[in-house]
This record gives sequence, C-alpha cells and structure tokens, in this order.
Amino acid sequence: KVTSSDDGSALPGVSVQVKGTTKGTQTNNDGNFAIDVNANETLVFSFIGMQTSEVPVGGKTVINVTLANDGVQLEQLVVVGYGTQNRKDVTSAVSTIKGDAIKSIPAQSFDQLLSGKAAGVNINIPNGLLNNPPVIRVRGFNSITSSSYPLIVVDGVIVFSQDAGSVGPGGIAANPLSDINPNDIETIDILKDAAATAIYGSRAANGVLVITTKKGKAGKATITYDSNFGWTKPYRTFDLLNASEYIMMKNEAEKNRATLAGQTYSPLYFENLDPNGKPYDTNWYDYVFQTGFQQSHNINISGATPKSSYYFSGGYTNQEGFLKKNTFERKNARLNISHNVTEKLIFGANVTYSSSDAFAPNSGSLQGTNFNTGGLGRVPLVTAPNVPAFLPDGSYNINTTGALANTPGNLLNKDRSGFYNPVVLLDLDKATAQTDRFLSNIYATYNFTKNLSFRTDYGIDNQTVDSRTFNNPIHGDGFAAKGVASNYLYKSTRWTWQNYVNYNQKFADKHTVSATLGTEQQYTKRNMWSGSRQTVADPFFDTYEGNYTVNNNPPFNFFTENGFQSYFGRVTYDFAKRYYFTASLRRDGLSALAAGKKFGNFYGVSAGWNLSEETFFKDALGDKISTLKLRTSYGKVGNAGISDYASLSLYDFSNYGGSAPALYFSQAGNPDLKWETSTKLDIGLNFGFLKDRITGELTYYKNNIDGLILNSPLSPSMGVPGNSVAKNVGSMYNQGVEFSISGAVINNKAFRWNTTLNFATQKNEVTALAEGNSDIFGVTQLETANITRVGYALGSLYVVETRGVNPATGQRIYVNGKGQEVQYSHAVATGKSRWTFLDGTTAPAITAAADSKIMGNTIPKFYGGWDNNFSYKKFDLSISLIYSAGFYVYNGTKAGLHDQRFWNNASDILDRWTETNTNGSWPRVVYGDNISNGSSFPISNNVEKGDFIKCRNIALGYNLPANVINKIKLTNARVFAQVTNAFMLTKYSGTDPETSSNGNSNLAPGIDRNSIPQARTLSCGLSLTF
Amino acid sequence: CKEDLLDPVPKTSVSDLSAYDTPDRIESLVNGLYRGVKNGNFLGGRYFIYNDIRGEEFLNQTNNGVTGLQTWNFTINASSNEVNNLWSSAYAAINNMNLFLDKVDAAPAKIATDKVANYKGEARFLRALSYFSLLNIYAQPYTKDNGASLGLPLRLKGETGAGNSNNLKRSTVAEVYAQILDDLNFAETNLPASYALQDLNVTRAHKNTAIALKVKVYLAMGKYAELATEAAKIVPAAAPFKAATGVGHELNANFAAIFTNYRTLESILSMPMATNDVPGTQNQLAFYYLPGPTGGGEFSLNPTGIYGSASFADTDDRKKLTSTSGTRIYLTKFPGASPYIDWVPVMRYAEVLLSYAEAKARLATGVDASAVALLNAVRGRSKGSVLAPATKADLITAILTERRIEFLGEGVRSFDITRTGSPFPAKGPVNAVSPSQSEYVWPIPTTELAVNKDCVQNP
Repeated sequence: KVTSSDDGSALPGVSVQVKGTTKGTQTNNDGNFAIDVNANETLVFSFIGMQTSEVPVGGKTVINVTLANDGVQLEQLVVVGYGTQNRKDVTSAVSTIKGDAIKSIPAQSFDQLLSGKAAGVNINIPNGLLNNPPVIRVRGFNSITSSSYPLIVVDGVIVFSQDAGSVGPGGIAANPLSDINPNDIETIDILKDAAATAIYGSRAANGVLVITTKKGKAGKATITYDSNFGWTKPYRTFDLLNASEYIMMKNEAEKNRATLAGQTYSPLYFENLDPNGKPYDTNWYDYVFQTGFQQSHNINISGATPKSSYYFSGGYTNQEGFLKKNTFERKNARLNISHNVTEKLIFGANVTYSSSDAFAPNSGSLQGTNFNTGGLGRVPLVTAPNVPAFLPDGSYNINTTGALANTPGNLLNKDRSGFYNPVVLLDLDKATAQTDRFLSNIYATYNFTKNLSFRTDYGIDNQTVDSRTFNNPIHGDGFAAKGVASNYLYKSTRWTWQNYVNYNQKFADKHTVSATLGTEQQYTKRNMWSGSRQTVADPFFDTYEGNYTVNNNPPFNFFTENGFQSYFGRVTYDFAKRYYFTASLRRDGLSALAAGKKFGNFYGVSAGWNLSEETFFKDALGDKISTLKLRTSYGKVGNAGISDYASLSLYDFSNYGGSAPALYFSQAGNPDLKWETSTKLDIGLNFGFLKDRITGELTYYKNNIDGLILNSPLSPSMGVPGNSVAKNVGSMYNQGVEFSISGAVINNKAFRWNTTLNFATQKNEVTALAEGNSDIFGVTQLETANITRVGYALGSLYVVETRGVNPATGQRIYVNGKGQEVQYSHAVATGKSRWTFLDGTTAPAITAAADSKIMGNTIPKFYGGWDNNFSYKKFDLSISLIYSAGFYVYNGTKAGLHDQRFWNNASDILDRWTETNTNGSWPRVVYGDNISNGSSFPISNNVEKGDFIKCRNIALGYNLPANVINKIKLTNARVFAQVTNAFMLTKYSGTDPETSSNGNSNLAPGIDRNSIPQARTLSCGLSLTF
Repeated sequence: CKEDLLDPVPKTSVSDLSAYDTPDRIESLVNGLYRGVKNGNFLGGRYFIYNDIRGEEFLNQTNNGVTGLQTWNFTINASSNEVNNLWSSAYAAINNMNLFLDKVDAAPAKIATDKVANYKGEARFLRALSYFSLLNIYAQPYTKDNGASLGLPLRLKGETGAGNSNNLKRSTVAEVYAQILDDLNFAETNLPASYALQDLNVTRAHKNTAIALKVKVYLAMGKYAELATEAAKIVPAAAPFKAATGVGHELNANFAAIFTNYRTLESILSMPMATNDVPGTQNQLAFYYLPGPTGGGEFSLNPTGIYGSASFADTDDRKKLTSTSGTRIYLTKFPGASPYIDWVPVMRYAEVLLSYAEAKARLATGVDASAVALLNAVRGRSKGSVLAPATKADLITAILTERRIEFLGEGVRSFDITRTGSPFPAKGPVNAVSPSQSEYVWPIPTTELAVNKDCVQNP
C-alpha cells in the first residue's frame, strides 16, 4: 500500500515500476497494488508532485511505502529566475516568504503584508487609503529619477507593477499587485544581490520579487475555504479646537493683526446657534470617517494525478475603508495546470483573471494631490467647527455664491469657514476605477534527456483601468463648471516570449554543473484616452455618458510603446556541496535608448564555501554548528526606468485659440542616454546551530549606483521644457548590514514558540549629481521640503531653521543663511518691515531658497521586523512587530494645523504666546499668518524624529479538534481573530511616521502632508480544508 | 519576433528633426509661439491678474494661497509659485521664439522669403512683448534711474538642452529695453500690414500691433517724444480717431461689446480662447473677478478704489460692468462662465489713445488741447462726462484716473503705479508699499538663482 507522508491518506494512481525493466503497475483507489517481482529486484514508486522512492523487495510480500510530498522539496527550492536552486546551494542573497504567512490578513494586495518579513526589505504603508501601493525598497533607494520599485515576476513573467491610479486622473489608487490574490501565492522570493538578480539584467537594480503561485499537489482533490471579516477605523486622529476655542482663537488673531497693523479691530467669528439655541460645535471628522466593514472569501480546489496537476481558485473580497465611500471589491479566478503529454513533453498554463472596482473619494493622500482643496485628509482639519454640516431645514450648509467662496456655514462668520463642506463631496462626487487584469502564461517543456531540457513560455499581461470622476454642480470642484464628468480608459498590454535550455549534470559524483541559456523578448504598449464634459444639462446626470452642454479637451491622452530584446545565460558549479560558483550574464536591448546605444551587458558572479561540509569542521564543531556557509557575490545590473522616448527631442501639437494648430518644443531629449548601472557587492554568512534548530544569516552589502539619469537642471530662463534635460550624471551608494535569525525557542509537543528577528542597516549617500552637482529638490505638490545634495542621503529634509518663539515679542525666530536670528511679524504698521533682527532693526526677508538647510535624513538608519509564533495544543498566536529608527519626517500637516488663516487649529495652539504667557510654545497668533507655522515655506519646527515600533498584526487562532471536524468530513478547520496595526510606540506627533504623502517618490520621501491616517483593523475568520 | 521591437516611433509627437519640414508645420510653429505667451501663467491670464491685484482696486475674498493671495498682500517671496511659474512660462515662450529665429531661415520647407520675414517679425514682436512684460514685474521701472537697475537675463539664442549655458548675468533694464525696441523696429518693418481675417488681426501681430507696443514701451520708459512719434503713425491728429494705415483700429462704439465680441477693431491684440483651448484652472479672469455662482469671487472691487471715485459716475457704461453681490462689488467686465473662455485683451486702441494723450499732456507746457480731445474720446465713448482740466497737472491726473476706469481688470494698474514711481496704496488690511521697499517689485525666482549662478537677486 502507498500512502502520503503528509496525512497518511492512500495514494491512488502511483506508478510502481521494477527498476531497470518496463514492468510496472499502478496503485488502485485505495492505494493498494500487486506485482510479480523477484526478491533481488527493486521497486520504484513515482507520482507527480511526490518524491520518488526506491524500495528493494528483499523477499517481502507486503510492501508499505510512504511518499513524501514534493511540497517539502519545494520549500527548500529557491526560484532564481528561469530556474530553481536548492536553498542549501544558493550563494546569493535571497529571502523567501511563504504565502501562508500572509494569506489571512486583511489587505488589498500581498505586498502590503510583507513589512518586516525579510531583512533588507523595507515596506512602508503610505496611509489608510484602500489599495494605495506600499513603498517597497529592497536595500534602499537605488535610483533618483527612475523607479526604486523592485521588478515583479509572477510565475516567471515580468508583470506590470506601476500604480495604474497614478497614470490617470490621480486620486484613485490602483495597485496592480492587488490583481494577484494573496491566497494564491505559494512563495515570494526576494532577490537582493547582483548574483541573484543579474539574470534579469537591466531591470534588476531595485531587487526582484519572484512570486510563485500554488500548484496542485499529489493526492486526492483538496478543497480549501478561507474567509475573513473585519472592521476598520482610523488609527490616530488630531485633537482640534472646539467651536468656542476656535472663535476665541481666530478673533484673538484678528485683534493682534489689527493692533499690529495700526487698524481698527472687529471680530470675525461668532457663535452660531442651532434652532434649539445651542451653539454649533461640529467635529468634521465625524462626517468624513467611519468604521468600515470588509469581508473576503477564497476557495480553491487542487490535486494531481500521475500525469496532471491542477489548482483552481476563486476569490472575492469587498472592503470598506475608514474614509467614507472608500471601497475596494475584487473578484478573481485562477487556474494553474500542467500535463505530461508524453514522458518528455509537458504542457502547462497559469491563467488568472481579476476584476476589481474601487471607489476613492478625493483623499488628498496620493502624490500630487496633498493640497487639493477638497482633499478629505485636510478638510476636517481646516473647516470651522462653529458651523454645521446641515442647516436646520436639513439642506447642506452651503451658500450659492461662488465656488471657493461657497464655504460651509458662513452664518454669522465674517470670514470664510472652510474650503468645502465635505458632506456634499462625499454624497455627490464620484471617483471610481474599474480594473480588469488578465495575466497568464502558457509553456511547454521538452526533456531531451534527464539532463537537458528546453522550455518555451509565452506570457500575456493585459490590464485595463476604466477610471471615472464626477464633480457635482452644487458644491466643490465641480461648482464653477456646473458639474464635470471625466472618463479615462487606460490600457496596458504586454507580451513576453522566453525560450531557454536547462542543463544539469553530475560528474564523478562530486562535480555538479548546471547551465541555462536563453532569449527573451518583451513588448509593452500603454495608452490612455479620455474625455471630459461639463455643465450638466440636468442635475440628474452624474456620468460622462449623460448630457452636458460643454465638451472639454480630453484631460489626458497618450500612446507609448517599448520593447526589450534580451539574451541571458547562467552557469553554476559545485564541488561535493562544499565549493560553489555561479555566473550569470544578460544582454538587454531597450527601445527607449538612442540607436547604437540600445544594448547593455549585465552580469553577476558568486562563490560559496560550505564549511560545515568539510570533514575537519564536522570533526571539530559539527555537533554544535550544523551549518556554516560563507558566500560572496559581485556584479553589475541596470535600471531601465527610462521613459519610452527619452532619447528624442520632440515637438508637440496643441492649438492656438481653438482652431489653429500650434507646434512647440516639448521635450529636450538626450541621444547619449544610457542605462543606470548598479554595481553590487555582497558578503554573507549562513549559519545553523543545534541541528539547524536555530538558523540565521549575516550579510554586508554595498551598491554603487552610477550613471543615474537625472534631470540635469537648466536655468528656467533658458526656457527648455521642464527646465531640465535627462543625463547619466549621478552616482550614489547604499551600504548596510543585514542580520536575521530564526529558531524554535521552545519546542515541546504541547507548546511551541518560533521566533524570527531581522535587522537591517542602511546608509545612502549621493556622491555625484548633474553638472556642478546641482541640488535636486523634491516637491510635495505646492511645497518643497526635500533636497538631494552630494554628501547627503537622497531626499533629505531641507527647511529653514527655527528656534522657537521670542519670549519678548511672541514672534517666531528663524535663522537665516548667514546664521543670524531674525523674527517675523505677519502684520506691521505702514512702512515697517515684517522681518526684523531680534533688536528690532530691519532684516532681509527669509526665503526658502536662500536660508534653508539640511535638517535631517528621511531614510531610516535601521529597520526590521520581529515575528513570533506560539502554539499551545490547538491554539496558535502570532505577533508581528516592525520597527524603524534613525530618520526624520517633515510633518507638513502640523503647518496646516497651526495656520492662522480661517483654518481650525490643533488644540495645542492654546499654548500660544500672549502677553501673559510669554513662554508659549506657539507664536503670537496673527490672523492671516501662514508663514510662522510653515505653510508658506517649510520650517524646522515641523521636522520630527520618526522612530517607531509598531505591532503590525496580532492573530489568535484555534484549530478544531480532529474528532469534531472528522464528523463533518473536514481534514482541518481553524478559526481566528486578529488586530492589524494593534499599537505603535513613537514620539512622532502626526498620525503616523510611516506616512508617505508622495508615495513611491525617490526625491520627496518622508513627507506627511494632509494625508488621511492609517487604518486599524479588527478581523476574524475561518479556514476549512476538505 | 517583432521586427521593430527596438525601434518604435512616437505616435503623438514629432521629432525636432522634422518640425520644420513643411510650410504647414512652420505656420504651426508660429502659432506655437503665440501659444507660448498665451500660457495661463503668463499672458493667458495670471500676468494681468497679478498686475491688477497688486494695485488698490481689488480686495481678496478667499484667502486662497494659490490664487494670488501673496501677490495681493505683498508677502510674496522668491520661492512663491507665482514668481516661479510666471518666469518659467515666459522664458519657455521666449525660447521657442529664439529657436524659431535660429532655425527658420534654414528650414527644409519651401516658403516664400517675404513669408519668412513676416514670421520672423511675429517672433521678434512676441519676444519684445515677453521681455517687456517680465521687466514690468521683476525689475525696477526704467523711470527710476533711466534703466540702470538690474533687468533680466537676456536670452537671444535658442536652447535645446545640449551644452551648458545656465549662467547668464542680468542685463540692465536699459539694455533689455534696447533689445525690445530693436525687436519691435524689426517687427514693424517685417510684419504684414494686416491679415485677410479679422480673427488674425486680433490674434496675430501686424504692423500696428508692433507700433502699439512701442507706444506702451516708450510710456514705461517715460520717453514721451518718441511715444508721440510712434502713436502718430496710427492715431490721426484729430477725431475721429481711426488708424489710417494697416488694420483700421478705432474705438468700438459699445464698450461692453469689446469683451463679448472679441474681434472689434478696437482690439489690437488679444489672447484667443475656445472650449478646446481654455486658460486652465485658476488662471481665468472671469473666475477671479466674477462673483458666484458664475465665478470664483476671488477678488471683489475695493469700494475705496477707483470704483468709489467721483470721476467714475454710475451712468458711465464702464460702471455697468460691475455688480453688487451681498455687500461686495464685483467686476463683470469678463462675463464668461466656466470654462471661462473670454479672450484676454493684451492691448486695446483706447490704451494707445490715452498713452498718446498722456505723452502730449506731459510734453506740452500748458493744457494740451489734443490730449484733452483724446481723453474725452475715450471717456465720451462710455458716456463719461466731458472733462476740461484747468492745468497740465490736472490733465495728467485726469488721464491717469481715466486709465484706472477704462482698464480696470486689464492688468494696467500696477504698470501705471511703478512707471510713475508711486507707492502701492493701502487696501483693506494691507498697508501701502513704497517704491523703496523690496516688495515694490517681484523677486527673481529661487529656481533661477539656484542654477544660474551669475544671476543676482533684486535688492
């Protein structure tokens, strides 16, 4: 009888063969078999997806065999690109994350769940907007103007990873990785050094995430069902002034202003009473945030017969954010199948289709939208609390004059009460993105011999994003236009065709050689067409297809193509599992580069010495140290994030006055443009103690990045488009140490505690920039608080230093470029200067350009994660912590929270300077002052340390006992409850130091500007296996 | 295998190598030059708005930092968006003109030489207009010290991004004016006298356009004799005032109609708009000045500004282009609703008349009768009372006052304040700004100073 080592179940259809003959049979449905053999013969048991077993007959009449699942073997395999390697033989830097580690945590995409899971992989969740792509950095920032986002490979095919939401109207996040169901993922291998990534050549500089989806495993069909229900809320919000404090503060500010300017004071803000005579006191957060509900259901059926394996899955998730109206719904299906047509020929396909619907109100939380008037991250902070959302008659509190003057609740207020009434925007505006993604590859493998195979693989990645926005005619951004509807259709199409041979041979029992040689071609087309119409014919219409009286110009159209032509090869050699050598080479041609400069060569070499396999080592230390492997690698890879026509100088057409075609210089190209290159050195040590009960890894790396393509700044007076031209002029390096250790701390039968800790340091320094090493500024829509300067880390904070409040005058003290202290008064008498030295004499005005300095790095000096898994009998508990330290955040939101225009303030403004509180921590309030708080230009008062420890997830599970589940024909059942973002330890005063208002930007990281907070989610779920 | 995998050709742009290949493309390039100055940050809107709101006629109503608040209350600084965006837009336009002037003679396209001369005249006219506009806002007025102050980096060669010409000193105001006049003299010689279509007479430069700009340039320089010489080319000595050569410019009988029928003979140059060529968000005159629900109500009229002046009677046609909404008064001269496609007037014949009148008034020893006639021609058209100033000073004051009434919202006020060396008067909560204060003119933007190491900031 043949059974599975996994669960002891019988294996039908196992091939049973007499070794060296053609005689054979198969097991029946109960796993039994019968065969006539001689006592000196050997039986070979083989089954797809299982390890082959050889059993000498030796005179036995009953032979019971257990076959181990190939899955066990798979766990030891590392996917290295166009092939796999045994984990033990790997001499490059690769981290592996199991799909099981992330499958049950609520998220829109798997990448959101990787924080802290692998050393040297830093993942930031920018904020709580659904489907906002996380910022992924493998060993730091590896580019300045190109992307620092890693290459994503799914089942061998390079797929789209650019946020499709950033391509269209903006404001709707659409992470393309959310089209991959986290439940379908078997493993994620993260390739970090040049030896591992060189096979991907020009696209490997940022590391590679290789995703392998699940395959059917031998045995009878398994059905798995997973579900998850969750409730989500904003994690931290601000404490704001209430209505009476607001009225007091703004009038005090106006009084100070009038007095200082030598004018007559009259109050601006008044108590507004509701019909019951009670003053309005509105907490605008109540109208913008909610407790969102989410649920996910996944089912998969998988299995394998001797010739075929199959994995079929279907998933559904429907999520509401804590931001009202923010939703994400996805339906997806996957079929992974492979079939042995003959002994030598295998056909297979991985096919997935995913359809998602997202609704994202104007959150102001994505790059380039942070200062949007209607951004709901900011609206609750700036709107006056002494006016209501609704008037007593139940109508919206808006007036009918003017778009921006169309402020909620002017009631008795003499000045504005806010930008927009958020309730109207939430009720009537729309912003949706509907994504269809078809991602699949079909392949054939032909095994010429046991050692030589050929594979051809054709992949398709088609993505269509249909984005629609509508701004209502009665209030907000659509008011002036009397309603605006815009539709955007973004299509990206890619095909990839790979052909390669794999060769494997062992000589003289000690020399193992393998080689891979192949070609790849890839073609990508991206285009968008769009339309916009305004002035609704009737308020009933809220879609573009309705009726409008004005057709606008299409807001965004483009059509662009690129192609890659590549050749690659890899050779690995090991001697007796002791000495290892690997070399890989790739030659890439990219269409974006100028003729004659399209091709580049990239390579990686590595070597390893498995000390623990040496006899002398085994003799001396073998009982204590079970694994000790030294490895090193070196190589050069590239970054291909070059816009499709970057080498060309272009003229674009538009029109003059509507009908006359107008042609103008639109892009200064550079025909000398080349690849950015990244030279990576890696020295590492893998170790294991106590029979590998404790294992770990220590690595030092250094990446030298050269030929960085920078928009070499040109004087604006030269008038060149974009005031810059792209050149290969920059260089920088990243270096650091990574350490990870994991082990079974306690390993009793009843109680187990496994822990994994990882730690990484990183140092980034820019060593050369464009001619004259000109600084590069990082822009946050309307504000510039980052600089990239030689000798400093990329995207450092660049602000004007402030030194608190002058107790004598109540004015903010600034330090100018010459190191002199000056103070600012927003209101002064005629002829007086706003800027004075502390002795009262006139000082030159502070400007961001002349007086800013570098006041902190935004890239953490160290970061990592700590996972703990406990199990006690049928209970399991996992706690995931992440941490990050040694970096600064520009808390731009804090500027707004202390702005002295009509904006509401954080309640700490109560400690402002007054004549009786001369030690106040905030300057004397002066109405209209947008300079003393940092709204006009960034100041160091808003720079804060970002150090944090965060509990990303706590999950408690319970596995139902076998006697219960067997009754209902289940093989496994688990229920669980968990908290995501359970707690955080930080001194940061904003909502979250992880916030990245500029998303994936290299040049403007570490900015927290008007973003919505992070989410905390409480969820529970169920996992069943039949 | 795809044969052209590595050689895709852009489908939405043309290469610089083929931009001059056909006569149609060259015509398109010329239109592109106008499109450059028509940028919403420049002459397509904001330039004129800034010039108005720096003056005392308007009050800010929305406290919105991106719609000129800092310009209005004089808290603007070198890194302000207004300062950077206007500069960049203007110089991008200038570079297109320089590139065109460098390349058009050697263009592969077959076009007649006189046509090339016309085109070059347009390019140089637009370059003069651009530099003149920049001088008015980033540099001290010529009249302060005969142009000895720092002017602008004077870029006269096309820049493609190759090579390094980042650094360029600011020429003096006088040097920039010399170039402007050189360009305008060339333009006057080479531009066509008129176009077949009245549309083009308003939206493209012709001889009289160049002359009219020279009138304005000499006014800025305080060179009244030269002004009078130029003005005389297009303004006859006596009423009816109608240009005798080229496009027959004259006052349009109906004042309001100039701003709705954009093609009258009064409009010398306007920036044309259409639903498929809009000024862009928050660049539109009507959005700034019209009250809701049509406009954004960004700026209302200051009741103590020209609106409240005794010279500006309620019966005046021009006052009819204002309206009261609540307690506030708004300018309704530009009546368009979203998408706000009112054409933006750059120069009107009325301005030539009043400039001419001012020059005559200033040149004469007593009260110049022909100046009074010109003044009353403009005033009378809108049913303003007939004026008879008693002294030369009264006449000059009356003309300056008339300009405030006539060009309210047309971007003339700040120009008149600085060229006459007057302080910016106080308004609402904003105090007066004297010519000696650094806020009197805009600073050079930080983006320029950061890269152009030879460029220095205004004092």
